[in-house]
Amino acid sequence: MANQETQFLDDVIVKSRRKMLSLGLSSLAGAAGGALTGALAPAAQAATFTDADILNFALNLEYLEANFYYLAAFGTTIDVANAMSTAAGALTIKLTGTVGTPGTVTGGSMVPFSTTEVASYAIETAIEEGKHVNLLLGALKTAAVAQPAINLGTSFQTLATAAGVPNGSTFSPYTSDQTFLVGAYVFEDVGVTAYHGAASLLTTPSNLTVAAGILAVEAYHAGLIRTTINDLDPTGATIAAYTNNISTLRATLSQAGLLGAAPSPFDTNPDDFGLADFQVTLGASATTSTRITDADGTNAIAFARNTTQVLNIVTGGGAVGGGKVVSPAVGVFFPAGLNAGPNGFR
Amino acid sequence: MEKLKELVDRAVSRRKFVVGAGAVAGATAALTITGCGGGSSSNPTPTPTPTPVTPTPTDNDVLNYALNLEYLEAQYYLYAATGAGLAAADISAGASSSFTKVGTVTTGNAAMVSGTTPAQQQIINEIAFEERAHVRFLRTALGANAVPMPDIDLSFFGPLAVAAGITTASAPAFNPFASFDDFLVGAFIFEDVGVTAYSGAAGLISAAGVAAGLLTAASGILAVEAYHAGYVRTALTGRAIAAGSTAAYPYLPAANKVEALRAMLTVGDTAAPSTSGSVETLLTLPANITTPSAIVAADPTNAVGFARTPNQVHHIVYGSATVGVGSGGFFPSGTNSIFATTTA
Repeated sequence: MANQETQFLDDVIVKSRRKMLSLGLSSLAGAAGGALTGALAPAAQAATFTDADILNFALNLEYLEANFYYLAAFGTTIDVANAMSTAAGALTIKLTGTVGTPGTVTGGSMVPFSTTEVASYAIETAIEEGKHVNLLLGALKTAAVAQPAINLGTSFQTLATAAGVPNGSTFSPYTSDQTFLVGAYVFEDVGVTAYHGAASLLTTPSNLTVAAGILAVEAYHAGLIRTTINDLDPTGATIAAYTNNISTLRATLSQAGLLGAAPSPFDTNPDDFGLADFQVTLGASATTSTRITDADGTNAIAFARNTTQVLNIVTGGGAVGGGKVVSPAVGVFFPAGLNAGPNGFR
Repeated sequence: MEKLKELVDRAVSRRKFVVGAGAVAGATAALTITGCGGGSSSNPTPTPTPTPVTPTPTDNDVLNYALNLEYLEAQYYLYAATGAGLAAADISAGASSSFTKVGTVTTGNAAMVSGTTPAQQQIINEIAFEERAHVRFLRTALGANAVPMPDIDLSFFGPLAVAAGITTASAPAFNPFASFDDFLVGAFIFEDVGVTAYSGAAGLISAAGVAAGLLTAASGILAVEAYHAGYVRTALTGRAIAAGSTAAYPYLPAANKVEALRAMLTVGDTAAPSTSGSVETLLTLPANITTPSAIVAADPTNAVGFARTPNQVHHIVYGSATVGVGSGGFFPSGTNSIFATTTA
């Protein structure tokens, strides 16, 4: 199965430059470096990019996620083994990507976990995100982007402050089970929306199967994180309340990054919900529901985001300015921006 | 709750049934679980297909396949949340549907889950709400082509649990509505399957369907199914950690027995869970703060989630590895789908 999946991705890479995609997303076209053509999209601008560009965009996000979880679970980055990562069986990633400018990972440290529950979840997630990096590196080969500069320290304080999390200016996700979960929360639902947005850009069934499979894993992770926060703070007094702050900020940044049509017809504004309960009507009268699933309140379909929306979140608003795309987007987790090929997304 | 624990303990000796790839492969061909529901399920008539052909599904066929599964999930969760199922308006036949008979639900033990805390009730409410939303979404998307709900047998949990080795035939039937932990095991039966079903169906959507947003919808629902699966697997794992051992929390081993059964029924890909080529990942009980959990169901090399074909999903929901079967298990009269008859 592994070989088969790698082969699927190889197929993506070796495919000649794909046909122009009608995206209806001027923002995407702008992010792609202005390589515009409307040939196949009379009603909207279209972007020229390869499947490798899509996968490299995902690879940047996986670098970010994997390093966060490796640091939190093992106290090391994805490319350096230590006793913890070795004992857990986590891959040591050989950073073979060369496209773009390699950067260093700053911030982050091992969380002094107090419960098996949260620690085991952190270790599992680290292992799985590492495998995603490895899968994409192996598939992209010489087309793979280098790991960019990644800030996993002060970035959280910047975001927490912007989100209005209490004492955000000193917030660290590396101090306890609880703060780790909040840090993880920042990423997981975003991963879901990013792969969801990307899935529709991959049109051959075999490639789609892989993208759908990674999408599923990101949603498993998101479900895991949201469930655990909900369990630890059922009344919404502390960390569960912070999820509302974070989701509101993500939705605001996402909306600011949406300069054309939404990537999914089922998206709403806001396109993100924290763990605050909501009311549903199942029988005769309304009743209270948790919000483990981050999806719209009508169709229960998870949200999708285009690359500019995702960039605007992970750079804390760096992807748009004056109503236009800013490329490269720089800020927060990516102080030097993402790495990408000539027509890639950054 | 205690009842299931005892039953699981007793069933330990039957684990040979589900462990060992060789034994599994041998058992697969003959495995067919017989439902015990009343009404229309009492005498199912399989429809043999001498020369199975792979149907060429239209987008409506794909959506209707998903709708059948959502009917099943929605009924389970709505009964668990409220003690009642989908309203008549949510199960009727579209004006142009080739399937016209609106099915009934054999309810068995179906009822509001007993003894839940408010927090537990709220999560059941959420999943019920979201699965019903999927039913309504698909029916709206299909419009006149929406198939009606087929007959659904919610008493099939009993025989399924016997086949999985969770209980024995002589013991009281497994009842997923008896407690929150039993409910989690019942939910576990569906959720990972839902993920793999949407993963497998996504590639069947036509280019026109992709342009019309159907792929976006399918992948968005896939994600929601994975959120649900993540919830169920996290809850089972967390409650096992809290209990301290699988002996003290037999629902985790019960879920793994469900996985082993699903693996056997995934015709064409029947490797035992967590072995090479399998489409199932067993839950684990992390020993301490240095060991990983197994919340995510994904392949061990690349951490990519699994997919199943509509045929494999039908084998599972019918509880039958037999080729040429047109009904059974949760669907005593078959699904209202072009995929209704199982193939190799």
